[in-house]
Parts: sequence; structure tokens; C-alpha cells
Amino acid sequence: MAYVHIENAVKYFTREDGSDMLVLDKVSFDTKEFGITCLLGPSGCGKSTLLNAISGLERLDQGKIEVVGGANGTAHGAALLGYVFQDARLLSWKSVEQNLTFALKGMAIPPAEWPERLDKYLSLVGLAEFRHQYPLYLSGGMRQRVGLARGLVIEPEVLLMDEPFSKLDQLTARRLREESLAICARLKQTTVMVTHDVEEAAYMGDRIVILRARPARIVEIFENPLPAGERDVDDAQFIQFKKRLLNTVLKLMETDEVLS
Amino acid sequence: MAAKEKTLALGADAAALAAETAIAAGRAGRRKERGAAWIFLLRGGSIVAMIAVWWLLTFFFPPSLIPLPSATFSEVISIVSSGQLFAEMGATLRRVGVGFGIAMIVAIPLGILMGTMKNLESFFEPPVILGLTMPGLVWAVMAIMFFGLSETSAYVAVAVSIMPMLAISLWQGTKSIDKDLIDMSTAFHASPWSKIVDVILPQLISHILAAIRYGLGLAWKVVVVVEMFGFSNGVGYQVVRGFNVFSMKQVLAWAITFLIVMIVVEFGAIGWLEAKVTRWRPRMEAWRR
Repeated sequence: MAYVHIENAVKYFTREDGSDMLVLDKVSFDTKEFGITCLLGPSGCGKSTLLNAISGLERLDQGKIEVVGGANGTAHGAALLGYVFQDARLLSWKSVEQNLTFALKGMAIPPAEWPERLDKYLSLVGLAEFRHQYPLYLSGGMRQRVGLARGLVIEPEVLLMDEPFSKLDQLTARRLREESLAICARLKQTTVMVTHDVEEAAYMGDRIVILRARPARIVEIFENPLPAGERDVDDAQFIQFKKRLLNTVLKLMETDEVLS
Repeated sequence: MAAKEKTLALGADAAALAAETAIAAGRAGRRKERGAAWIFLLRGGSIVAMIAVWWLLTFFFPPSLIPLPSATFSEVISIVSSGQLFAEMGATLRRVGVGFGIAMIVAIPLGILMGTMKNLESFFEPPVILGLTMPGLVWAVMAIMFFGLSETSAYVAVAVSIMPMLAISLWQGTKSIDKDLIDMSTAFHASPWSKIVDVILPQLISHILAAIRYGLGLAWKVVVVVEMFGFSNGVGYQVVRGFNVFSMKQVLAWAITFLIVMIVVEFGAIGWLEAKVTRWRPRMEAWRR
């Protein structure tokens, strides 16, 4: 299976007055193979830019990003990547099933494989009986599940998730976190997930990369001491690990304030 | 064990959602029934009131100016039963249809391009705004002077007078397209064709339908004017003929048949099309329309 190798990633944005602003400052790390890597940092720290660079939506100014050990890639020559967005970003005029086939068609998956894959991934996210429903008739949590199924149905080498639970209410988010973790663990899905929520990172991440803001730079990389199946948000060991992450983030914010 | 629990939980969730949806649908249905009946009553009452006022006016004016409603309606019936309606209305509808088609073919791409490209937007904005303010009558006169009394002048007059309106509505519609969905389709490597058909056009459909509504309303008015100038058939010609023999009854009868056909097109054809292409949108307040 595959992982993402990021080496010296540098990215500038152009400000409105034409001057350059450094967004990614020589970011290098490898993501976890088979597991979930969380990019954790304050809002606006360039995590999403990094994710977009991995997906190819943004181009780097220096450095390289490659998917290592990918099976075969897409028919388009790029690595096969799935994407789950912050807001579900479904096509409201297409049914749940058609939203998934939109991705299958885009990724040039042979239509002969579609029915089996639709069945598999729709039941995995618990939406098998809503396959002909239109998204606007579904709740926010269910729409996000469709988004997850759309990311998975192409059987990506790497699944990219951009704060996928941050727009849901707390209970739905918690439920969806549990399910997504179980699904990714079961599929041994290499996943990169962006979050600004420390508890979410501790819960979802097998590896947690902490980034500082403006420009994004790696502060520290943690390996989660608890395997995916044994994380319980009320458990002492989990809380201890969460505190370690939290302290790192808080310390980082303090020094940033002194600097600015 | 844990997996089984999860499936059970998911099943329960689905059942709860289905129940919720059913309850909501039931409530919406009842509200819809009550609302629809009341609206129907108001609309019907308004038509009855208009006819009553008309009938009252006949007491104060000679029948040559205000004919009796009953006399006018029997004239309508004779127009319909003699088959005259279909011949005249057919000619008018064809002129509207062809002119409208030409306008759509030009205006839809133009509007989309104006919404996507800043340079084209700046370049085409003045002619579109000018075109919008130009009276349809002027286009009609110019088309007839240019093409003579031919079908072409009717097609051109209709097309040119509604084009600016169509273009503006597509232009504004394109500007309101959700860019995040375009990014999504790029992330999933959708082809340019699929981006247009699956992502962009569906977002424009309500703008296109609104444009068709307004465009048709405008096209009717222009086509009648063109026909009045000296065509030998069409609803506009029949109205002028009524005027020449000073028969208000004929003028009104043709106006009424014309209104009926417009209403059929407006609520029947376009309403049906709209319901068909926006099936995906929950419509709790459909009866308001």
C-alpha cells in the first residue's frame, strides 16, 4: 500500500498588493502507511494548502510530494486520491448513488466494477437504503457520510480529509468519527486528515503532525501510543496523550504570540 | 460483536430517519392541501370579479365599445370551433418559437462566457444593457425595413428583443455558481464535458427557466407588433382586422384566446419542465407558487 512522501514543500501566495507571502516553509514528513495521519495546527496555518498540494489542486513552488508504493494510479497518470471536504460538496441534483458514480466516472473506473463498489461502500457508511435519495433530503451527518463514501468508492491509494467533521453538531461528529475510524482501520486505508481539534487528532490519528502557523512549519510529530481499536475519549491513557498534544499546541501558540 | 452493534445502530438510525421523513411529508401534504384550496379560491374569485366589473361597464358604454362578456365568449368559441385559432395561433407560435430558439442559442453561451471571463463581461456589458432598454417596437420597425414583410423579420425582431434579457439572466446565474463544487469535480478528475453537464448546467437551470418565462412574455408582445405591420396571418393581424372593422368584440376575443394559450404555455409546459428538472429540491412551500 501507499504513503505520501513530502520533501521540502514550499509554497507562496501572492498578496493583493503583489508581494509574496510564504505559506509552507520547507515542510517534510512521511505519512503513515495503512493508517491515518492527522495534520494538526491552528486555523489558517496552511494545513488545507498542504492537503490541496497533495491532491494536486495547488502547485508547490519548491520541493516535491509523491505517493510512494501506489498500486497503479489513475488512468490519468496521477496518483489515485480520494477527497472528503469540510462541507460535503455533493451535487444536489444527483442522487446519493449518482454522486458516487460521478467520482467513479471521473477516475475512469471501468463501469463493470461500479455496481459491486456502490453496494460495498454505501453499506459501509450505512446508506444502502438511501441510495436513490437526493442529498437535500438527508441530514447533515448523512450528507457527510455520502462524502466519505464518494472518497472511498474510488478505492484511493490515499484518502484526503479536510476537517470533515467540523461543520457537524457535536454528537453527530463524535458518531461519525467513530465510524470513519472503524472503516479506515478495516480497509487499512492510508489517510491524511486535516484538523484543528486536538481531541479529534488524538482520536483519529495514528500519526499526528503538529504544524505552526504563518508560514506552516513542522513543530513535532507524534505517534499515537494507542491502536485504533483501543481509543476511548474517557480513558486515562487517552486523556494523557491528548494532554501531551494540547501542551505542545499551547506552547506553540504562546511563542507565536511573543513573536508577533 | 461490536460490528453487529454498529449495524444495529445504523439500522435504527435509518428507521428513525425514514419515520421523520414520513411525518414531515405528511405535515407538508396537509399544509399543501389547505393552502392550495385557499389560493385556488382567491385566484378564481379574482377572475370572477374582473368579469363582473366588465359586465357592469356594459351598462355605461355602447356595445361597440364594451361588448357583453357573453357575446365575447361566444366569439371566442366560434374562433376555436372554426379552426381559425389553430391556423392563426400556429403562425404566431412558430414566429415566437423560432425567434426564441435563435435567442437562446446565442444568449446562453454569451451569458455563460460573460459570467466566467472578466474581459468579455466588460466588453459585452454596454450592448446588453443598451439592448435591454431598446423598445421592442423599434426592433420590429427596423427588422421590417431591413428584411421586408417576410417571416425572417418576425424571427429577427423576436430574437433580438429578448436576447439581452436572456443573456443578463445567464450572466448573473453563472456568477453565482458554487466554485467549491468545481474544485470538487477537479479533485475527482471530472472531464471538461462532465463539469459542464453535471456541475455547471444544473446550477444554471433555474436561471434558464426564469429567463424562458420572462423571454416568452416579451416575445409575445413583440410578435404581435410585427404582425400588426402588415402580415396576412397571426394573432396580431387578427387584432388589426378587428380594429379595421371597428369590432371591439373581435379584438377582445382574440386577446382572450391569446391569453389562454399563454397561460397554458406558462403554467403547463414550463411548470411541468420546472417540476421535472428540479425534482431534487425539497419543495415544502410548493403551493405558494
